[in-house]
Amino acid sequence: MRVLAGRSVAVRLAASAVFWSCGILLVAGIILTTLYRQATERSFDERLLVYANDLAADLVAANETDQRAVGGLGDPRFNIPLSGWYWQVARLGTPLRDANASRSLLGNTMPALADPAPGARFGEIRKDYAAGPEDRLVRMIERDIDLGEDGRVIVRVAGPADEISAAQSRFAVALLVTFTLLGAALGLSTLFQIRFGLKPLAGLRAAVGDVRRGRADRIEGRYPGDIAPLADELNLLLDANSEILERARTQVGNLAHALKTPLSVIVNEADHSDDDLSIRVREQADIMRDQVEYYLNRARAAALAGTLGSATEVRPVLEALVRTFEKIYRDRGLAIEDVPADGLRFRGERQDLEEMVGNLVDNACKWANARVRVGAALERAGDRLVLCVTVDDDGPGVPEGRRAEAVRRGRRLDETKPGSGLGLSIVSDLAGIYGGDLSLGAAPLGGARASLRLPGDGPAGRDAAPRVAT
Amino acid sequence: MRLLLVEDDRNLNRQIAAALADAGYAVDKAFDGQEGQFLGETEPYDAVILDLGLPAIDGVSILTNWRRDGRKMPVLILTARDRWSDKVQGFDAGADDYLAKPFHMEELLARIRALLRRATGHATSELVSGSVRLDTRSGRVSVDGTPIKLTSHEYRLLSYLMHHSGRIVSRGELTEHLYDQDFDRDSNTIEVFVGRLRKKLGVELIQTVRGLGYLVEAGSPQAA
Repeated sequence: MRVLAGRSVAVRLAASAVFWSCGILLVAGIILTTLYRQATERSFDERLLVYANDLAADLVAANETDQRAVGGLGDPRFNIPLSGWYWQVARLGTPLRDANASRSLLGNTMPALADPAPGARFGEIRKDYAAGPEDRLVRMIERDIDLGEDGRVIVRVAGPADEISAAQSRFAVALLVTFTLLGAALGLSTLFQIRFGLKPLAGLRAAVGDVRRGRADRIEGRYPGDIAPLADELNLLLDANSEILERARTQVGNLAHALKTPLSVIVNEADHSDDDLSIRVREQADIMRDQVEYYLNRARAAALAGTLGSATEVRPVLEALVRTFEKIYRDRGLAIEDVPADGLRFRGERQDLEEMVGNLVDNACKWANARVRVGAALERAGDRLVLCVTVDDDGPGVPEGRRAEAVRRGRRLDETKPGSGLGLSIVSDLAGIYGGDLSLGAAPLGGARASLRLPGDGPAGRDAAPRVAT
Repeated sequence: MRLLLVEDDRNLNRQIAAALADAGYAVDKAFDGQEGQFLGETEPYDAVILDLGLPAIDGVSILTNWRRDGRKMPVLILTARDRWSDKVQGFDAGADDYLAKPFHMEELLARIRALLRRATGHATSELVSGSVRLDTRSGRVSVDGTPIKLTSHEYRLLSYLMHHSGRIVSRGELTEHLYDQDFDRDSNTIEVFVGRLRKKLGVELIQTVRGLGYLVEAGSPQAA
C-alpha cells in the first residue's frame, strides 16, 4: 500500500476495491470450475457405470448360455466405428484379442488402466482418463467381476473425454461472462459508494477553500457524525485565529494611544519655549513620533501575517475614502473621483486596503492642483487574479529616476509638504506582506500615478473577466 | 466663541484648554465620554474637540448620538488612532475634521479657526466689517489700519459678533457662547462689554436692535 501513500482517498478506496473484487472473483471462478468439472465427471462416470453394470448383468446371464451373446447395451453409439463410445469384456489372464468388445472399437483394444493399488478390494471400480483408439482421449471405467466357476472377467466401458471438456468450456465461458458483468456492476457500485461516501469531505474541502479565499468566515453546512467534529475543530481554530488577531489589533491601538498622548503633552510643553532644552526635546519627540509610527505599523502588519484570508469589496472602500478626502481637503476645492469598480474584491482585510489606498490618495491630494482620480481593475497574472488600484493626480509628478527611491521606507522627496514621510513606505510594506507591490509612474492627468498591485478576486466567487485599468 | 473639549488625559486636557483660552475661546472641559456627551447635548457650543478613546462612552458613539439628535456643531476628532479606517469611521460618524496625536498646538488652533470660519460661512481667516478688521489667526483687531488693544472678553464678544455678522445676536446667545459653564453669568456684563467695545473701536459697528439684541453688518471680506 506504500504506492498509494499520498494519493487521494478516492484513489485508495478504488484501488483497494478493485484489488479485492478481482481476487475474490478469481478464487470463486477457480473453485466453481473445479466443482463443475468434478460434477461433470461424476455424472459421466455414473452413465459409464450404468453401462458397465448392464454388461456385467449380460455377462452373468450369458455365462449360463453363450458367452458370445454378451454386449447389446442398446446404445447405437457403441456400434458407430470409432465413436469414442467403447466397451470391452475380457477374461482375466487371457489375451485381449479374445475379449468381447463393442463394434465401435473396430478390432482395436482398449487400454488397461493402471494396476489397482495394493490393498484395493476386488470388484472396486477404477476410473480415469486414457488414450483410446487413434489416440483419442477417453474417460474410462474398469471393473473386475467374479463369475464363480467361470473365473473372473474385467469389464471396461469408455466414452469420449471431449464431451466432458466441451461442457466444461461452455461452463467456463458462461462463468467468464457472468463474472465480467458482476465485476463491472461491482466497479460501478464502488464508484458510486466512493462518490457518495466522500461527498461530505468534498463539501468540507470547498468550505475550507471558501474560508481561505475570504468568501466565508466559518465552515458552514451540516456534516455526518464522523467528520462533523473536524468541521467544529476548524471553526474553533478560525475563531481562535480571529480572536488573536483582534486582540493584537486592540493591543496595538492601545499602545498607540498610550504612547502618543504623552508624546503630545511633551511636544506641546516644549512648544512654549525656544531654549536649547525645548529645541532638543522637540527634535527627539519628532524622532520618537516617527519611530512609534514605524514600529506600530510593523506590529499591525505582523498581526496580519499568518491570518486566514478575508475578502473586501473594493468599491465601498474607495467611496468611503473619497467621501473622507472631500471633507479633509474641501478648502482646496479638489475634484476627487472614484472610477466605479463593481464587484471587485481585495483578498485581505478592509482596514489594510483603507490604509494603503488612504495613504496614496492623501499623498495625491497633497500634490494635486485640482484633480485626483482613484481607479481599480482586475487583471489575470497566470492563474492568479490581481487587483490593480491606481491613484492619479494632476500635480508636478515624480521624476522617473526618483520613483523607486520614493517608495522606500521613511523617504520623503519634498520636505515642504506635511507628513512624516512614512506614507508611501507603509503602503509598500503592507502591499509586500500581501505579496503585492507599489510602483510610481506618470498619470494621464499629468501628475504622478501610484499603482498598487494586490491579490484580487472577482464578483462573489466568480472570476471576473479581466478589465483594463483606467 | 465657546468650545467643548473632551479629552481623558488630564495633562493634555489642561494644555489644550490653556491654549484655547489664550486664543480667546471660552472652554468647557470633559474628562470622560458620559460627561462629554451630556455637555454636547445640553450646551450650545461653537465647536467641539473630541478624543476617540474615552472612558464610559467612546468618541465615535458620542458623535453618532449627537448627529442623530440633530446637534450640528462642528466637531474635530483628536485621537491617537490615525489609521485611515479610523478616520473614515470618524468622518462617517459626522466629524468635520480629524487630527492625529501627537500634534502641534498651532495646528490644532488653525484647524479650530477653520472649523469656526466654515461653520459661520466665512472664506478667509480675516473678518471684515466696514473699517473694522479682525484677524482670527493673530487675534489682532484694527480700525482703518490702526491696531486696537482689546481684553480677552472684549475680543471674544467682537469675534462672535463678527463671525455672525449680518444676523441679530441676542444677549442670551452671547452669554451662552462667550462664557464657559463655570463662569458666573450675568447678562448685564454683556452690556458693559458692548459699551467698552464701542468706545475702543470708535466707529458705529455694533448696532442695538431694541428688544432683540445686537447686529454687526456683514462687510465684504478681503483675502487674508
